[in-house]
Amino acid sequence: MKHAALPEIGISQILGLVELLVGKGGREDIYKLAGELSMELGETLTVIRAAEMLGLVHTPGGDVVVEEFGNKVVDASITDRKDLIRGKLEHFPLFKAIRDYLSSQEETEVTREEMLEKLAELIPNEDAEASFSSIVNWGRYSELFGYNDDTQTFYLGESRAE
Amino acid sequence: MMPDSHTLIELQHVTRRFLLPQGEVTVIENISFKALEGEFITIVGPSGAGKSTLLRMMNGLLPPSEGMVLYNGREQKGINLDTAMVFQNFGLLPWLTVSQNIELGLEARSKDVVYRRSQVNRYIAKVGLEGYEEAYPRELSGGMKQRVGLARALAVEPSLLLMDEPFSSLDVLTSINLRNELLDIWSDRENVVNTMIMVTHNIEEAIELSDRILILSNRPGKIAGELKIDLPRPRRKRDPLFSEYVDRVFSLLA
Repeated sequence: MKHAALPEIGISQILGLVELLVGKGGREDIYKLAGELSMELGETLTVIRAAEMLGLVHTPGGDVVVEEFGNKVVDASITDRKDLIRGKLEHFPLFKAIRDYLSSQEETEVTREEMLEKLAELIPNEDAEASFSSIVNWGRYSELFGYNDDTQTFYLGESRAE
Repeated sequence: MMPDSHTLIELQHVTRRFLLPQGEVTVIENISFKALEGEFITIVGPSGAGKSTLLRMMNGLLPPSEGMVLYNGREQKGINLDTAMVFQNFGLLPWLTVSQNIELGLEARSKDVVYRRSQVNRYIAKVGLEGYEEAYPRELSGGMKQRVGLARALAVEPSLLLMDEPFSSLDVLTSINLRNELLDIWSDRENVVNTMIMVTHNIEEAIELSDRILILSNRPGKIAGELKIDLPRPRRKRDPLFSEYVDRVFSLLA
């Protein structure tokens, strides 16, 4: 089964983008934004796409517009932000698939190698190593998954949804 | 700022010289200012104006060559454990995890392991690092690394937080995010620290964040001017008053 990969952009950049847009009244031309940030257009688009995947913004025409959920996240406290983003990530099909996979394991944990193999199956067109570090990051941020680099174990976090 | 604010730290005619191979160099010359409890002060100046030297005299790491630093009305001698510092390059130890890096600052102050662990967990939550406890710095983005630096400084519950260009090695979007979160932390009454002094070369950053800006001139560093920022927060760059402040800082720097 194929799944959409997770954004390979960190949460700080995504939040920074939404905060910037809110400061501008919630809307900006994408090309203008890239120029103002002195970022390459491709790089800017990657951050915007990541923010869009999380439901924080949408992109009608050549603009980027903050969604109501984006405003809610920006207004929230540091801890509440994490809860809001976790709520979104929990419903990502890829995250669900990983959770089902971990739940089927005896200790709800697998080795790094096993996880890489699973990722090659779940998202065959992506670079598994890059996807792995992205999933570790989002898993940690949302506290849905954890990873210990000393023991190379990837494990199921305490999910508040269950 | 509280209406009954008292002076937390005061520099009186502070001069700092260094002996270099080419002879004695005056880095800071005759600087006097006060920081009131609850104030957010930024120090702006060109590189080489001695901004970091000034911070190191405020936490007591470096004694002034002339003049004195008063903390709560008393002359400060040696390292001031009531201050904590956040660094430009995060200052994290690569072989320690996030939790261990945060605990590091506490080890000099408390032998009570249970207390230390509870402080670590409390400030991990404050900066939004829950879930990253066992991560190593190499696994983190710049934004997350600086959150660790901030948590480590906050965990010792200093009265005065000193920051040396804390956002200048971060990408532009990450620094927007961290500036906002720093303001949240500063205005959070649950936190012990409510006085902050930050060094930056970014004028817009100084106007966005601080109550007052001290402008340093170059070689030797002297106070070229001081500016109170009377704008409500959050401050927006497109506000015409904001641009006026930018112009005023520039004219003082020139």
